[in-house]
Amino acid sequence: MRRLKEHPILSTNADSTEVFFYFEGRKICGTTNDTIASALIANGIDVFGFTEHNHPRGFFCAIGKCSACLVEVDGISNVRACITPIREGMNVKMQTGRGKPKW
Amino acid sequence: MVRHLRALIVGSGPAGLTGAIAIAEALGDGKDILIVDEGIEPGGQLPKQTHKFFGHEGFYASVRGFEIGNLLVKKVKSLRVEILQQTTVTGIYEDVITLYDRANNIVHECTSDYILIATGATEKFLTFKNNTLPGVYGAGAVQTLMNQYKVLPGQSFLIVGAGNIGLIVAYQLVQAGAVVKAIVEASSRIGGYAVHANKIRRLGIPILLKHTILEAVGDNKVQGAVVAEVDERFRPIEGTEKEFIVDSICLAVGLQPNIELVAQTGAKIVYIPELGGFIPWRDENMRTSVRNVFVAGDLSGIEEATTAMIEGYIAGYNIAQDLTGTSQEEKISKMKEELSEFRKGPFSKKVREGLAKLNIRFPEGGYREELQNDSGPKGKLRAVIECPQPIPCNPCETSCPTGAINVGGNINGIPHIDYEKCIGCGICVTKCPGLAIFVIQEKSDHSIVGIPYELLPIPSKGDKVDLLDRNGKYVSDGEVDHVMLNNKGKTHVVFLKVPKGLEESIRSFRYAKKSEAFICRCEELTREEIERTIEMGITDYEELRRVLRIGMGPCGGKTCRSLALQILAEKTGRSISDIELGAYRPPTIPTPFEAIVKFNDGIESSSGGVKNE
Repeated sequence: MRRLKEHPILSTNADSTEVFFYFEGRKICGTTNDTIASALIANGIDVFGFTEHNHPRGFFCAIGKCSACLVEVDGISNVRACITPIREGMNVKMQTGRGKPKW
Repeated sequence: MVRHLRALIVGSGPAGLTGAIAIAEALGDGKDILIVDEGIEPGGQLPKQTHKFFGHEGFYASVRGFEIGNLLVKKVKSLRVEILQQTTVTGIYEDVITLYDRANNIVHECTSDYILIATGATEKFLTFKNNTLPGVYGAGAVQTLMNQYKVLPGQSFLIVGAGNIGLIVAYQLVQAGAVVKAIVEASSRIGGYAVHANKIRRLGIPILLKHTILEAVGDNKVQGAVVAEVDERFRPIEGTEKEFIVDSICLAVGLQPNIELVAQTGAKIVYIPELGGFIPWRDENMRTSVRNVFVAGDLSGIEEATTAMIEGYIAGYNIAQDLTGTSQEEKISKMKEELSEFRKGPFSKKVREGLAKLNIRFPEGGYREELQNDSGPKGKLRAVIECPQPIPCNPCETSCPTGAINVGGNINGIPHIDYEKCIGCGICVTKCPGLAIFVIQEKSDHSIVGIPYELLPIPSKGDKVDLLDRNGKYVSDGEVDHVMLNNKGKTHVVFLKVPKGLEESIRSFRYAKKSEAFICRCEELTREEIERTIEMGITDYEELRRVLRIGMGPCGGKTCRSLALQILAEKTGRSISDIELGAYRPPTIPTPFEAIVKFNDGIESSSGGVKNE
């Protein structure tokens, strides 16, 4: 786990209610404070998807600007993992390239 | 239905929040004032700032960034200004503005009499091999992850860029428990404040000037980084490559303003490299070339959060003035004066030059540049300030209970201490945002050095520590004399007992982590201990065993006996064959009592073993 257990300035136990969601079918444990990106990284997952040319993609800017962390959530592509909070039962998948539109 | 607003504020960072406060205060309430922001939490980049801000009390100096965010949001809410988070302005059209609310997955439309755009900036990217590999992060992104979400994406980091962001993030990584292997900086000087760089150096983190990153190494995640020295034209010098084993790389190579929305309003965009590249043209009131569109903060020129707050106020009061027709001139001038005071120092040179291209003039100079040479009367418990550059900051002056410290007028001035008045109380040490103040005292047989401390573990009286100098280099052993805890501000002062004469050089400490060479694994005996015992006159293996328990652990000496005999031979100058080998006693391996008892009970195993005749 890469979650901070202690910190000299911040409190680390502010809210630790567990939220479960799925990434590529694997059950992932996050907390109510987590974004998709923070929960995945906390669980040791650094690759969120691949580019069209098969380069791995992950977290980069944290503020919804760079589009490196795009994932598919419940069938919708191009969701920015870094600024999307997790929801119980959410189904997150790796996105390849630009994703597929859902009509 | 299209909602009509009096003012739309894009961005809930420091500039947007103070802009909203100014408008709502001047109008008397927050009705029809809306702040929209893309992030989850309001405050822009403030929630991830765990360091104390520079500046003066009026703009929350010595308060940590995330706490400033909370204070501003509270103020905005008390004025009943609505804040819509997770909402992005997706378009500014001639007749309407579209907002995409992600939480409810719906696009809203609105119109507004005035727009304040405070969309901030984005971290710049850098070109090198494998720069998109997961594990290469924006430095600010790692700050968000560790300080806002309490997740550390790696254990060992390389930082690219020694501006304030790179230096601050390096320090905060150490606070979070990570290792920072180095900071590389392409230019020949550190761009950030010396006080930030000093914090890093005394932790022993090297800052490699004239170095850049060439390559991120790894398949699906960073496993290393190749760096090299660069020449005066920033080209890598062949043969100087070195590799760092790191699992994360943080890029802190500057910011670029987020101009896309302001550009959509039709406001004139100009290129001013001193302010961060392409920025909206604006006047001294933060008004763009479009009459009812204002800007503030990093969007209008890369600077820092305090000036962003002031610009937010200036824009807000101007909008309020237009909306009400009542003059806000007094408040506007006051804020302009604040800006002018802040921007007099050397670190604002680029901003002054950039603004001059917009015909907005800010004066320079008028602050104290002289360093104080005198470190006070020996023997007296007193503060020493190591703040060598003029930076806009004065909490040392305002926090001193005896009025002993002053920055000499302008806020950029270098602080001096009046040693007649200083009582060595250490309050300034806990307040200084740069952690640049220490307390020293020479005593008869040792000296005391008080050091600002924001790491874990919190030391206790009597703890044995390694004493380090300003570069984080070991100087001597020492011990913690006492600790002045500051549970509210979280900057504690650790008073160290240091050998006499070292009070001017000890500025850091660490818990001693000795790397030892073991001989006997089971009893954890080191070569040093064994040699010391032999020197005491124990020159026989059997005796050594009785004194140290060497060879008496579970392995029975299988690993250590030959090494111990060798050391005995070396130390006593005898040949190894001349040394008594010592007895070999049973059992040769740990044997369960149950197994032994079974034998004695006559329940012999049917297989294995040598039968006793």
